[in-house]
Amino acid sequence: MRSNRRELFAALLSAAVATKLARSADDPPVTIAGKRPMILHNDRPEDLETPVRYFDSWITPIDAFFVRQHLPRPAPIDTEAYRLTVNGMVGKPLELTLADLRKLPQYTVPATIECTGNGRAFYSPKLPGIQWTRGAIGNAEWRGPRVSDVLKLAGAAGAAAYMETDGADTGLAATPDFVRSLPMSKALNPATILALSMNGQTPDIHGFPVRLIVPGWDGTSSVKWVIRISATAQPNGGFFMNPGYRYPKYALPPGSPAKPAELEVIEGMPVKSCITAPEDGTKATLGSIAIRGFAWAGEQAIERVEVSTDGGSRWRDAQLSTPKLPFAWRMFHIDWRPSDPGYYTIMSRATDTAGRVQPIVSPWNPSGYLWNAIDRVGVTMEKPA
Amino acid sequence: MNGLILTCFGVVAALAADQVTLDRGQKEESRSCLPCHSLRLIHSQRLSKAAWNKELDKMTGWGTKIQDRDALLEYLLAKYGDDKPVAPLVMSGDGSAAKGK
Repeated sequence: MRSNRRELFAALLSAAVATKLARSADDPPVTIAGKRPMILHNDRPEDLETPVRYFDSWITPIDAFFVRQHLPRPAPIDTEAYRLTVNGMVGKPLELTLADLRKLPQYTVPATIECTGNGRAFYSPKLPGIQWTRGAIGNAEWRGPRVSDVLKLAGAAGAAAYMETDGADTGLAATPDFVRSLPMSKALNPATILALSMNGQTPDIHGFPVRLIVPGWDGTSSVKWVIRISATAQPNGGFFMNPGYRYPKYALPPGSPAKPAELEVIEGMPVKSCITAPEDGTKATLGSIAIRGFAWAGEQAIERVEVSTDGGSRWRDAQLSTPKLPFAWRMFHIDWRPSDPGYYTIMSRATDTAGRVQPIVSPWNPSGYLWNAIDRVGVTMEKPA
Repeated sequence: MNGLILTCFGVVAALAADQVTLDRGQKEESRSCLPCHSLRLIHSQRLSKAAWNKELDKMTGWGTKIQDRDALLEYLLAKYGDDKPVAPLVMSGDGSAAKGK
């Protein structure tokens, strides 16, 4: 076991040296305050991916949580001056302070947030957009008032079919503003909250002082730095609702364009699992090895995770060590002791409470969204020296 | 012999012209892309000519004023085309001790 760890450490070290060499003069090294070393896709604005080796706990620590920003981060918000505008189809438009929001009943929601494009790098043909691999995902405890309580306070009209949310971030030049709409039925779901904290903290980079949390839906729904919510009859028609964050209604041949009229807004996320240990490409001395990972299923809960160590020929059930909840991921593990040296293809396959099973092939789509193919890593087990 | 020299000269001239275009493209990249985002966002992509062209259309729509578009496109394709090896992942430094903003 000890020598396994040593091997793993050596592999990680050589990867670190390789990435150091990969830095070019165009892209000087960058450190992000409050974050461990992260996979750096963009530093202005910050788009940071969690290396899978940090995923060793049910709650992802903030210093390891991924970051996705479409627009430059707004200037830090003065919590005293902060106001949440609640308007549109409401009887009583409101300007709420943080103290007003804190006075409402507070709820804690453990929820996984995953970037819609997590896994885009695995699609072929290649797609434009951030080349996320496995780590644009994390699980946190979000706490704050229900959106339904805030809308009730303002007397939102029953005829309002959508809730529109705007963050304090604004685009440079003619970049469109980041505005999202949510069907009112989801906005009124008791788990949909205006989070005032994440794991008990209020990190600016994750959208505080107020972040909308839409459990089970794609990460882009959970708008950061919320400054306005509006009850509306129609969904917002801006770029980030259309054509952004849409998925083809009918599957397309890889590499072909979608018909704009046949693109739909993404809602709940698919069932998915991810192997976090051992990492792909690991070389280890023959012996026992722990296979670990997480699985989640959007608005459903994880029922089962199976693991194969022979490329998908035989499968066995992994142990699930965390509660069966909607919205939040479950951790899985299995102890494996291969008897022969050689190269092994390890795979994981999750099934959710609705009976959805991870596919072998994740459907290609023109924006590279919703990657959820059965996960797969390769490891080489070597004879002891 | 003269023909060979001329051919060689022609190849060198063509390569030089290519390099000039690539340099112009790189300059244009700094001028029209850097004001809004870091170059990492570009350099991690591997796209076809059609896909790069579409990105330039999108960014033009979002307000950047590209002056030397042909050179920029040639540069992007030459360095970050879909026939190029996948970009290695780059890690940020350790900022966990610093207070997050």
